[in-house]
Amino acid sequence: MSAGMSMHASGTEEYQAVFTGATLERLQEILTRYPNRQAALLPALWLVQEARGWISDRNMAEVAELLGLTPAYVKGVVTFYTMYHQHPVGKNFVQVCTTSPCNICGAEDVAMAFLEHTGAKELGATSPDGNWTVIEVECLGACGFATPVMINDDFIESVTPDKVPELVRKYR
Amino acid sequence: MPSLTIDGRALTAGTDQTILEAARAAGLGIPTLCWYPKLPIVGNCRICLVSVAGEPKLLPACATKVTDGMQVTTESHAAVQNRRGVLSLLLERYPADHLRNGGRAEPRNEFERYVMQYGVVPTPTWGRDLPLRTGDERPGDPMIRHDMTTCILCTRCVRACEDIQVVGVLDVGFRGEHAEIVVGADGDPEKAGCTWCGECVRVCPTGAIFEVMPKERFSPQQIRHPERVVRSVCPYCGVGCQVDLHVANNTVARVTSPDIEADTPNQGSTCVKGRFGYDFPQHRDRLTTPLIRRGWEKEGGCWAWKGRRGAERRGGPWKSIEGEGQQTKPGTPPRVTGKKVRQLPLLERIDMDIRDRVATPSSWYEPFREATWDEALELVAQELLRIKQQRGGDALACFSSAKCSNEENYLMMRMFRGALGTNNVDHCTRLCHSTSVAAMQRAINTAAASGSMREIEEACDVIFIAGANTTESHPVFGALIKRAHEKGATLIVADPRRTELAGRADIHLQMQPGTDVALYSAMLHHILTQGLENKEFITTRTHGFEGVREAVRAYDPDRAAKITGVPADTIRRAAELYATGPNTSTLWAMGLTQHAMGTDIVTSLLNLMFACGMIGRWGAAMLPIRGQNNVQGASDVGAIPFVYTDYQPVTDPEVRERFAKTWGVSPESLSLNKGLMVTEVVKPESGIRGMYIMGENPIISDPDIAHAEHWFLQLEFLAVQDLFLTETARYADVVLPGASFAEKTGTFVNTERRIQLAKKAVDSPGQVRGDLEILIDLSNRLGLNAPFKTADDVMREIVRVTPSWAGVTHARLEGAGLQYPVPTPDHPGTRFLFADAFPTADGKATFVPVQYTDPVELPDDAYPFVMNTGRQLYHWHTGTMTRRATGLDAREPTPIVEIHPADAARLGVAEGDLVRLTSRRNSMVTAVRVSDRVARGQVFVPFHFREAAANLLTNPILDPYAKMAELKICAVRIEPVRMPAAV
Ligand code: SF4
Ligand code: SF4
Ligand code: FES
Ligand code: FES
Repeated sequence: MSAGMSMHASGTEEYQAVFTGATLERLQEILTRYPNRQAALLPALWLVQEARGWISDRNMAEVAELLGLTPAYVKGVVTFYTMYHQHPVGKNFVQVCTTSPCNICGAEDVAMAFLEHTGAKELGATSPDGNWTVIEVECLGACGFATPVMINDDFIESVTPDKVPELVRKYR
Repeated sequence: MPSLTIDGRALTAGTDQTILEAARAAGLGIPTLCWYPKLPIVGNCRICLVSVAGEPKLLPACATKVTDGMQVTTESHAAVQNRRGVLSLLLERYPADHLRNGGRAEPRNEFERYVMQYGVVPTPTWGRDLPLRTGDERPGDPMIRHDMTTCILCTRCVRACEDIQVVGVLDVGFRGEHAEIVVGADGDPEKAGCTWCGECVRVCPTGAIFEVMPKERFSPQQIRHPERVVRSVCPYCGVGCQVDLHVANNTVARVTSPDIEADTPNQGSTCVKGRFGYDFPQHRDRLTTPLIRRGWEKEGGCWAWKGRRGAERRGGPWKSIEGEGQQTKPGTPPRVTGKKVRQLPLLERIDMDIRDRVATPSSWYEPFREATWDEALELVAQELLRIKQQRGGDALACFSSAKCSNEENYLMMRMFRGALGTNNVDHCTRLCHSTSVAAMQRAINTAAASGSMREIEEACDVIFIAGANTTESHPVFGALIKRAHEKGATLIVADPRRTELAGRADIHLQMQPGTDVALYSAMLHHILTQGLENKEFITTRTHGFEGVREAVRAYDPDRAAKITGVPADTIRRAAELYATGPNTSTLWAMGLTQHAMGTDIVTSLLNLMFACGMIGRWGAAMLPIRGQNNVQGASDVGAIPFVYTDYQPVTDPEVRERFAKTWGVSPESLSLNKGLMVTEVVKPESGIRGMYIMGENPIISDPDIAHAEHWFLQLEFLAVQDLFLTETARYADVVLPGASFAEKTGTFVNTERRIQLAKKAVDSPGQVRGDLEILIDLSNRLGLNAPFKTADDVMREIVRVTPSWAGVTHARLEGAGLQYPVPTPDHPGTRFLFADAFPTADGKATFVPVQYTDPVELPDDAYPFVMNTGRQLYHWHTGTMTRRATGLDAREPTPIVEIHPADAARLGVAEGDLVRLTSRRNSMVTAVRVSDRVARGQVFVPFHFREAAANLLTNPILDPYAKMAELKICAVRIEPVRMPAAV
C-alpha cells in the first residue's frame, strides 16, 4: 500500500529508523505470532514508543512501510488510543483517573498534587527537568479504590494528595 | 428472485441486492451520504434509513439486503424524522449560515441539497456548542485543497482513494469527538503517495475537498452553472478517458469525469493530467495567427525567399537544445505541499520561476511575421508543389500526429498520398509501439491489442507486465491493475526499475536493461521442461514451434540468471505462474519496444504467450499499452508509410486502385513504394527536402537531438502546424496555428481499439483554425478534391475504405464508443479477438525464433551508468502541453535525473545538486533526485524538458525491422557540476 512512499525519498533529511538491529528482530519475532502484518500494528507501535518515548509522524510512516499499511491508517490508529504519545513525554508518565466516581473522591486534587510536586505545571506538559508528564484519564477500572494512578506501567490504588510527595520521590 | 414493494411499487430484485440498489434500479431515489456507487458500504451516516413493514426499527437501505415480500416505505414519517435529525446533527458542525436565509439560499452541494429538501433549518453559528471541524488541508497545493470545516465525515474520500485508486492517502484520525480526515501521517500528501488524481474531489458531497483552479478563475455561479458541459476524450494517454468539459466564458472552466457507473473506458476515473491538465490552451504562448518566416516575399504572384542563405537561413536568436543542455540551471524548487502554511516556501517566487521557465521566449518570435491564412496556405501549397515538381514527391515527408483525430490523420495521409504522390507519412508510433506492431504483424498479422482493459479486473488470474510503468504513464489503467491485484490476481512485473507496480508485485523480475529476450526465453525453457506449455493450442493454432523450442534450449534459467541478474528460482516461479494461469494477460509498453532489438524482444514475449495459449479468451489478453491518445487511430487510418487505412499495403495495386477511385485521382499518381519512417526521415541520406509537421515536436522526441536539430536546418521548406511555437516550429518557414482538443470534434482510438467521439466545447482563440479545416483547405489548394465540411463527413469516407470500421458513424459513437472490428452498422463492436482464429492466411499464429544479443551500448569504465528514459506522472512527452498546464507544471517544474542513493553518495551529490551527464553522443546538465526506484548503476531521465533534453544523449541506432531507436539504453557518465554561488 505504501509503495509510492519512498518515491521522492530525500537524500538530505536525516531520519534514524527505529527498526534496525535488536528492535527489528523483536518485530520479526512478533510478526511470527500474527496471521498477517496488519495485525502486528499495535505491538509495532509499542516498540516505537519504547525505543523513542513517543511516536512521531516519521515513525508512523516507517511502521506503515514495514507493515504494508498506509501512513494515514497508522495515524488513525495512533490517534485513537490515548496510550500512544504523539508528543514527547517525560521519563515518568503519570495517569490519574478523574472520571466521576474518582472525581467525587477528590481525584482532581490528586492530579493537582502531582503537577505541583513534579513541577510539570500543566496537564499534558512535561516538567522542565524532562522527568514528568501528568495527564488525566478516564476510568481505570478501580472505582472502589479511588483514586487509582498509573505511573509508567505500575498501578497504584487509593492515592490521596498527601501520598503524592512520597510517590514522586520514589520514581524520581 | 425476491419480490418486494417499495413505496407501494411492486418490484423484483436480484438476490444479493440491497434495498437501495433495488430502489435505484426502479428509478426511485433514497437519500445517501456515505454510500457511493462502487465504494465499500460503511453505513455510518444513517440518512438512508427506511421503514420496513414488521421491523421494529428503521433499516439502512444501503446496507440491508432485500428479502422476499419486503414492504419498504422510503419517506415514512419515522424515516423523514430520522433524516431531519441526522441532517441537523451534521449541521451542528457545518458553516450553514447562508442556508438560514428564509430558504432562499441556493444549495451549494449534495449535502446542502438534502438540507433544503428536508427543510432543516441550521442552528446559527452563535448558538452552537461544538466548534467547526478541522483536518489536514493541503495548503498551497496547486490543484487540490481541503476546507475541512465543511467535512461531514462520510469517509467517501477515504474509500475512493483506498479502493478505487488503491493509494490510501487519507484516513480518519482522532476518532471520537475530534475525528477528522488526515492526510498521510504528517499532512503531506506527497509523502503519502498521493497522485493528485482528484478521485477524492469527485466523491466529496460537500466540497470539503475541492479543486483550486476553477475557484481561482471563475465565480461560484459560473462553476455551478456552466454554459454547457461537453463530452470529450482526455488529450493525453492511450487509456482514452472520457471527460466532461465545463464551459464558462468560452474557456474550459473545469473538467469532471463521467458517472462512475457509466460505461466508459475509465469507469469514471481520471488521472491528474485528465482532470487538472486542461488549461494549456489558454496559455499566453498560444499562437493565434499564422506566422511566416521573414525573408519570404511575394513577387509577381509568387512567393520567393529573399532572406539569408546557408546555415543562417533557419536561424534565430535562441540557443540550440544542445546549448541549453550545457547551461547550469536552477534546481528543483521545494515542492509546495505540506501541513502548515508557514512551513511552505514563498509561493510568489515559485510562481515567477514557473512562468519564466515555461514560456516561449519572446525572442523566438523575432524571425517571424504575422500573416493571413491565405498567405500562409498559399506559400505552403506553392513550396510543396515546387519541391514535388523539381525533385519528385519522395523528396517530401510529413509527420502526422497521434494527438490529432482519426479524421485529421486520414486527411493528412490522403493529402500526402493523393496530392503529393508519396508514402512518406509517419507519426510518433515509430518511437512508440512500432516494434510491437512489427512483431505482432510477423506473428499474427495484426497491430492492436487483442482484449480490453476491463477484463484484467474482471477475469484475469495472472497479470504479467513487462516494461510498463503503468501507474505513472497510464494511471487510470494502473489503478485498475492495482484493484485487480487487491482482488486476488497474481501480479508479475518485469522491469529494471522498481516502479510502484513492481513494489506491489508478487514477483518483480528486476533484470538488467535490455536482457528481456534472455528472460522470456528462460521462462519458456522452464515451462517446456515442466511440460506446462499448452500443447493443444500449439498444435491447433500455431506453426513453427519447433524452431522456438530449439532457440530457447540455450536459455536455462541458470544461464539466464547470469545475463539478466534475476535469480534462477525467481524466473522459474514466474514461469510456472504465467503458464498455469488459468487466465494470464500479457501487458507491455515502452520498456520492451524502445530498443534497437525491440522487435525481437516483443517477439520473444509473444512466443511465451502463444506457447502457453494465453490469448483469445476473456481474461487472457494481449495488451500492448499504447502511449498517445490516438496513436492507435493514427496508425489505423493509415498515417504510416507502408499502409493505407486498416493496414492495407501501399504496395498492392488493387488497394491502390480502390483508394485512387475514392479520392478521385488516377491510380498512377499514388506511389507503390513504401515510404520513409520518422527515424529514417531525419537522416542526411533520406533525401527529404520539404516537410510538413502536424502537432509533433521531433526536436525533443528524436534520439540524438543535436544531429536531428542540425538536420532540420538543411531543409528547403518546413511547415509546422501546432498550438505553440515549439522547439521544432521555431525552425519553420510557415507556422499554422491549430486548434486544441477542446476546440474541435473528432474521433480517437484508445489502447483497447475503442473508437470514441470527442466534441467541440469552446471556440478557438484569434484566427486559429481547426486542423481539419486547415487540411481540407490545403488539400484543395494542392489540387486534391476534399469535399468535406465536418469531421462527420470525413468519417463517412473513412468507413468506406476501412472494412473493420464499416459500421461506424459518429452517431453510434455517442456514449461508450465502439471497439473495432465493427464490420456492419448493427455490429456491437468487439471486446476481445482471436477466440477461434488469427487474421492470417490459414488462421494460425507463427512462432519466430529469436536470440538474445547484448544491448548495443553497455556500461564501461568511461561511461559506467546505464541511462533509461521515460515519462513522469505530471508531464507528457515533449512538454508542449503539460509544461503550460499550471497545476501539472507546478508539480514537476524542472528536469531531473533519478539516481540510486548509494550511487549518489559515491558521487558525492545530494538531492537538488546539479550533475553533468555525458554519453558517447553529447552531454547535458540536470538536477539530482535521489530515489531507490532505480537500481544501482542505473539512472532514469524523463524526456520532457527542453533545457535538459534526455534525447541529447540517446543512441540513434535503429531496430532492423521497425526502425525504432535505442531510446531505453545508453551508457553515460555522471560528474557533479560546481555551481556559482547564487542562482
Ligand atoms: S488526489 Fe487521488 S491519490 Fe491523492 S488523496 Fe485524492 S484520491 Fe488519493
Ligand atoms: S472530506 Fe468530503 S468526502 Fe471526505 S469525509 Fe469529509 S465530507 Fe466526506
Ligand atoms: S472512575 Fe476512576 S477508576 Fe473508575
Ligand atoms: S448512505 Fe446508508 S448509512 Fe450512509
